[in-house]
Amino acid sequence: MTESAIKPRSPGGFWTEFCQHPVAVAAACVVIAVTLLAIFAPLIAPQNPYDLAGLALRDARRPPGFVGIGGYTHILGTDSQGRDLFSAILYGLRISLQMGLLAGAVAFSIGALVGSAAAYIGGRVEAFVMRLVDLQLSFPAILLAFVVAALLGQGKFQLIIALTFSQYAYFVRTAHGAASAECNKDYVEAALSIPMSGWFVVTRHILPNTLPPLIVVATVQVASAISLEATLSFLGVGLPPTEPSLGMLISGGFQYLLSGRYWISIYPGIALIVLVMAINIVGDQVREQLNPRLKK
Amino acid sequence: MTDPVLKVTDLYTHFETQTGTVKAVDGISFHLNRGEVLGLVGESGSGKSITGFSIIGLIDRPGQIKGGSIKLEGRELVGLAEDGLRHIRGREISMVFQDPMMTLNPVLTVFEQMAMALRAHENVSNTEARARCIQALRQVRIIDPQQKIDFYPHQFSGGMRQRVAIAIALLHRPKVIIADEPTTALDVSVQAEILVEVKSLVAELGISLIWISHDLATVASISNRIAVMRYGKIVETGPAAEVLGAPAHPYTQMLLNALPSRSRPGQLLATQESHKPGGESKTAGWIEQKSPNFVSVKHVVKKFERATGLWSRIGVKLNLMQPPKAVLAVNDVSFTIAQGEALGLVGESGSGKSTLGRIVCGIYHPTQGEIKLDGASVVSACQRGRKLTTKVQMIFQDPFASLDPRRTIGQSIAEGPIAHKLTTRANARDYVARWLEAVSLDRAMADRYPHQFSGGQRQRIAIARALAMRPDVIVCDEPVASLDVSIQAQILNLLLTLRSEFGLTLLFISHDLGVVRHLCDRIAVMYRGQIVEVGSAESIFEAPKQPYTKMLVDAIPKLISKRPALQDA
Repeated sequence: MTESAIKPRSPGGFWTEFCQHPVAVAAACVVIAVTLLAIFAPLIAPQNPYDLAGLALRDARRPPGFVGIGGYTHILGTDSQGRDLFSAILYGLRISLQMGLLAGAVAFSIGALVGSAAAYIGGRVEAFVMRLVDLQLSFPAILLAFVVAALLGQGKFQLIIALTFSQYAYFVRTAHGAASAECNKDYVEAALSIPMSGWFVVTRHILPNTLPPLIVVATVQVASAISLEATLSFLGVGLPPTEPSLGMLISGGFQYLLSGRYWISIYPGIALIVLVMAINIVGDQVREQLNPRLKK
Repeated sequence: MTDPVLKVTDLYTHFETQTGTVKAVDGISFHLNRGEVLGLVGESGSGKSITGFSIIGLIDRPGQIKGGSIKLEGRELVGLAEDGLRHIRGREISMVFQDPMMTLNPVLTVFEQMAMALRAHENVSNTEARARCIQALRQVRIIDPQQKIDFYPHQFSGGMRQRVAIAIALLHRPKVIIADEPTTALDVSVQAEILVEVKSLVAELGISLIWISHDLATVASISNRIAVMRYGKIVETGPAAEVLGAPAHPYTQMLLNALPSRSRPGQLLATQESHKPGGESKTAGWIEQKSPNFVSVKHVVKKFERATGLWSRIGVKLNLMQPPKAVLAVNDVSFTIAQGEALGLVGESGSGKSTLGRIVCGIYHPTQGEIKLDGASVVSACQRGRKLTTKVQMIFQDPFASLDPRRTIGQSIAEGPIAHKLTTRANARDYVARWLEAVSLDRAMADRYPHQFSGGQRQRIAIARALAMRPDVIVCDEPVASLDVSIQAQILNLLLTLRSEFGLTLLFISHDLGVVRHLCDRIAVMYRGQIVEVGSAESIFEAPKQPYTKMLVDAIPKLISKRPALQDA
């Protein structure tokens, strides 16, 4: 009786269950669609916003539907430099997703390894690492990211460091919690009795078994990394103007909001909200399915 | 004896699952006479618990009673609405479950829980409820019930908790009590006490009892009649002495023959594959005992200290706090095992036998003392000692927990030999196949995950993993405790043959003296962290020197016991 309860579900079962929730499926479709749009932005976008020669200041701040000097319709209007907003959003999504995923992946790897190693080693090392994490978590993530980004300066690489730095602690926490439970299980003892090395036990036994909660955290953290990046770029400490992310587009249109030229800020904002929300909904559903405690 | 109290005819309880209908109870009929104890025996999955749940009307979805009738004194229970069932439950039929820790509410005192059960069917004042609960506790031989009634469940031992559960079941003087494996979670000595008490209670109160168990021996010692279940059907039913003395059905015969206590020590047990006991194994004296001190354990002490934080240390220094109590799990234990010998380590739960096993295997570092294998230390000397040898391997109690659920069994078996250069990554498949075949599993199974196997198969895999390290010594920590009798017999046979085939030295830890006697040459008895007696298997059983050993040996339920005047109750 107990055996069937702890039986890990097959991947097939996971998707079958996932597909029973229309909202989650819709959100997943949005995430996939946005990702595809971002990947194929150069093919889809009517204009290359990096190509300065293609920009005409005459077309700046035109409303949606305006037919520009290049002969094509700017369906979402243009921004203060005369860039086609739809193209800029597509390229912005590309950068935002890139930043979010990269920062999430780096934070995930560092956090998972540090967390499960701390749980395995125990004693003072564990206490030190976990208190450090607690200390860091007591500061708002935006503040930490802001300080680090400001210290390192602008640039993609610097931004990833800043985002990772403000996010890895969540992964350490989660990995540590899951790994502490795994460390007491018989199979870890069985591996140690062979004896297998600590490194092997952590990377091959403990880590794979702590993945489900980490995946949940990862989805939520990617979403928050994207919005964090947008915030930093909006504040001007994120990416350089040569890498126009969604945050920078929003900030670029901010000053025109009250003068009626709403589209410059609103459309990138909507894109950002849709992306972050869709990722969060998918993450919620994944958590519901992977966390046995939420099961009825 | 007139009409039976309970009459079950053609009962079908089915579970509709995604993969098809599971016929948990598949057309069973039996009856229960007044004052009678009916033993319901079967292996896991035979439907014996579901039968109990069906009678008391606690079948959850997707389970459903598909047909048949359950008559309590002529009243039909099948098809009764939830309301009607609630009137009967607890008052006319009550149930005692396997684990009292799970069934008692940890945040309520015993009195609060008993009063709740009492008020479910009766309106009673507080003082009256109290008096009746104390009376009920006294009935199940709880000493000092006036005080104990205000205790919380965690303040009781396992046996006492089960007594409380029985007391609650008895509160309304039900006509029928269904006891589902009530002593399985208890130590053998506690089990013996409870069996005696339940027996006398049944005689005293004239209750009818259905005793559900997987253990033929406990059922034999308490029941008037026995029904043997398999695959949801009753294969044999009859008076206890008849069923056990002259079983008619081959399955009952197989169950009986699979019991280690029924065959000569060292002999292969009868299993499903071979109904006749197999040939004499070569264990007895197959190896000239090369080194009498092959494994030597000297003055081993293991203290478990709770980790102390900075604040509690300051607190202790300032005399504001008590220093945390260290648990002395193993207290100055010394013994030796000769090469090729099997030493049984028996003791009740909490005696430190598992801790000692883990120390011998090098998983725990002893606080003091040393363990040597063939003259070499098992763990290095430093505080966080590392295990130095691969020559001691371990088999755990729960084979499912001891296999990594996310690795195929092939990976699990191969990881140790690859890391210790017993094989190469390229040859690993063949190496694994060899050991799978050694434990009679198919080599094609190497790519499956642990949850795809049955309990017995998983234990074979765990044995294969231990063997693949080419050990000299295997520490077996209750390797058959979680298995059915017939599977247990297969695993014991496997251990017997492997032992002679590979010349293994065994440290066999178990609470089951029957199993230990069957497999081991010598037995060490542990009690509260110390070894109280060591001797050859015969001497421990025939002439135990220590009173504790004697008590343990006496507490083993005997298969055919003379029943006192119970039949006339």
